[in-house]
Amino acid sequence: MKRIAIVFTKELIDNLRDDRSIWGTLGYALFTPALILLLIVVMGRFMRGEADKALMLPVAGRENAPALVLFLEQNNVILQDAPINPQEAVQNGEVDIVLVIPDDYGENFSTGQPAAVQIIADNSRTAAIPNTLRAQGLITQYGQQIGALRLLARGINPSIVYAVVVEEVNVATPQSQSLVFLNMLPYFLVMVVFLGGAAVIIDTTAGERERNSLEPLLINPIKRWEVVLGKLLASLPFATTTILVALGGFAAVFNLFPIEHFMGVQVSVDIGVLVAIFFVCLPMMLLAGALQMIIATFTHTYKEAQNYVNWLPLFPALPGLLLAFMPVKATVQTMLIPLYSQQVLINQLLRGESVTPLNVIVSIIATLGVSLILILIAIRLYNREEILFGKK
Amino acid sequence: MIQVNNLHKSFGEIHALRGVTFNAPNGQITGLLGPNGAGKTTTLRILYTLLTPDTGNAVVDGFDVRTQTLAVQQRIGALPDARGVYPRLTARENIRYYGRLHGLTNAMLEQRIVTLIELLDMESIADRRTDGFSTGERLKVAIARALVHDPINVLLDEPTNGLDVMSTRAMRDVIRQLSAAGKCVVFSSHIMQEVAALCDHIVIIAKGKVVGEGTAEELLHTTGKANLEDAFVDIIGSEEGLER
Repeated sequence: MKRIAIVFTKELIDNLRDDRSIWGTLGYALFTPALILLLIVVMGRFMRGEADKALMLPVAGRENAPALVLFLEQNNVILQDAPINPQEAVQNGEVDIVLVIPDDYGENFSTGQPAAVQIIADNSRTAAIPNTLRAQGLITQYGQQIGALRLLARGINPSIVYAVVVEEVNVATPQSQSLVFLNMLPYFLVMVVFLGGAAVIIDTTAGERERNSLEPLLINPIKRWEVVLGKLLASLPFATTTILVALGGFAAVFNLFPIEHFMGVQVSVDIGVLVAIFFVCLPMMLLAGALQMIIATFTHTYKEAQNYVNWLPLFPALPGLLLAFMPVKATVQTMLIPLYSQQVLINQLLRGESVTPLNVIVSIIATLGVSLILILIAIRLYNREEILFGKK
Repeated sequence: MIQVNNLHKSFGEIHALRGVTFNAPNGQITGLLGPNGAGKTTTLRILYTLLTPDTGNAVVDGFDVRTQTLAVQQRIGALPDARGVYPRLTARENIRYYGRLHGLTNAMLEQRIVTLIELLDMESIADRRTDGFSTGERLKVAIARALVHDPINVLLDEPTNGLDVMSTRAMRDVIRQLSAAGKCVVFSSHIMQEVAALCDHIVIIAKGKVVGEGTAEELLHTTGKANLEDAFVDIIGSEEGLER
């Protein structure tokens, strides 16, 4: 026990003097809230800006349908001259869409036949889809208006043609609409947890071997498990600081920054929620540290270990990324999966949903259990002779 | 006191030790001489409990290196082949870390550190971070931390490797002082002149085996050569991997 404290103290002092450890910790911690802020500013502009903007619509055969043209112009569409070969122009991406009004439009229209118009678009280009949908919607709307007028002229109630109507009741609050951004938080937090203590772990393991100080250290009367625990524990203050700084950053972004100005709604995250998230994150630090220690046992140098460790958070973070698109129910079973359970819980906390105490307990126990197994594996690896030489 | 009995050790295909046996009594300097790759470092690593022999055993002050590792580690001070120090800690902090791991505490530990700093003549560098130290300065730190708990058995792997003439002389003085203080000193070297000048007892290792053993006079006598260097070459069978 005493020797664990000796190793812990030494590594703490040593790493506090290391710029690499300090900036590794603070860099990741500040990077993520900054990224969220950037997304809010850029995407918020984008989302708000699109709807108000006039639709630029190249039209061929404008003279064939003066009434339709007038309707479009009244609905914030700026008509442009169509390129000579509309299909080719769309295919080459010169224009997003082209509306083609054929010569027989007027004849069909006046005789009561369905008058066809063509929208030439490339649906494989995602960026063009909103404009295509908007043009389609306007033309359909125009068609329905004319149809209703025709029925009225014949003394029929236009609503008779709508046998069934769908009424959409959207329960999304402005707050939950902007949750797209909050949904990214669990992912970023896992990144922060994994990378916060990584610099210290790598320095005290792979770095120790690279500096040729591992062999003399192990000659001292100290058990290998004491070495492993001392070094692992030394990474925790750094990892904790990282999470605290990152959460503080998020608190500042969501509570102090005028998000409303950019997104149209204010998003806020309660400080109490952030505190709860902090405690949910704690068991993950041990898990991350143990995994990194294992990796460091078979790498020769700081740089080599860093290469592996930097990729590590991507795997557990993948489910969190999915979470951003499809919400998953928090069941006891999902709580058994370390890293994933924390992301589900963080997501629930951010959405303001109630979190079941049982789920939290299962999540903590499962994560600590897996961490313990990983620590035992790390100790086993440190007990082997090969630890002196690195990869064999 | 160290007793080594018929050590064998393989690393995969490589048969590093094929039967190494020798005794190193207290108050004497025992030199392990052999070309590079002869098995000196592997033998020492078994003595400081980092490697386990396949067969054979080694005993330090009556404690088996395989089963009583902690007791052995408490009784040895070692300067291994890898002798890295912590660059962000000062020389004194480096020594203090090892002292604490050996269970030394405050006043006693600090007093011991002062003694070692004097012994190794490192007052001017004691409170500087070791980053940027010369090879000789780093070696002094490594020796000081190995001796911080005043061990009875001192194991030094090629202690003069990479040192300039002045540092080498200082190093040899330290080795003599340790022996005069009654300690069991075992050091390895591939430099014939160094072993000849320092050792009370010489163990010659080649290809994982002890090929000759004895005092300088005994070795001269058995080989019938006029000088020690010729005797060494005669016993090993080649000059390869040795230095005069």
